[in-house]
Amino acid sequence: MKSMANAPAPIVVDQPDQDETVLPDTPWIVLVWNDPINLMSYVTFVFQKLFGYSLEKATELMLDVHQKGRAVVSNGSREKTELDVFRLHEHGLWATMQRDGS
Amino acid sequence: MARKPKSPVERITQGFRVNLPAADREFIQRLLAQLRDLLLGPSDDDRLRRLFPTAYHQENDRAMDDEYQRLMREDLVASRLTGIGLVEECLGGATKESVRLTEAQLLAFVQALNGLRLVLGTMLDISEDLDLEEVAADDPFVGEYHLYSYLSWLLDWCIRALQT
Repeated sequence: MKSMANAPAPIVVDQPDQDETVLPDTPWIVLVWNDPINLMSYVTFVFQKLFGYSLEKATELMLDVHQKGRAVVSNGSREKTELDVFRLHEHGLWATMQRDGS
Repeated sequence: MARKPKSPVERITQGFRVNLPAADREFIQRLLAQLRDLLLGPSDDDRLRRLFPTAYHQENDRAMDDEYQRLMREDLVASRLTGIGLVEECLGGATKESVRLTEAQLLAFVQALNGLRLVLGTMLDISEDLDLEEVAADDPFVGEYHLYSYLSWLLDWCIRALQT
């Protein structure tokens, strides 16, 4: 994040824009969906590599994907989860994100 | 393609060794060159579908997905191309029966192999329970099915070596 330490002090203090709805920083979740191509061993390995999960935890998540069709593999701010989705896409996994609870 | 009883990929003291004859490695290089051409071609090519999945699957997040695709697609292509370049550097040249790879090179190899499988699997509309023995000998894509199976076998050995 860019440091604002050297930014000039604002001279005019604006009133907050009334039209702008400030949403709370909703947590997001990252889902990985089952697909017929990615190997189970590969999916497990990607979970370990990207998220630092133990072999046991990664295998459990992979089996959820395989048997239940999907699994939540990470969560956090939109910025963080979007990066997770990107890294999963770099590895060819079918990952998507949504607001937690939606 | 001959399969040797020896593991095709193994961890050695420093890094990894890929025990594939030069002809196999050259063949993989040619496939990777085709993947590069595909990545640099029209972005709406359906064979690439699985390399660029939807990021926001919910209907009301469609605008965010459009933005993701607009901003990230180029990065995904660049990442794939970098990986292919890395693999080409380390697989080519040698005429021996094996080649040594660093962990970073093997990881790039893994992603490239999986990229090939994703494209091939999409073209073949592969199903999870693919059984090669059920593919008829006169199926027009019998060669592609065997190639897909070979790449799966090799990828699985790469993962085993990485997890050793």
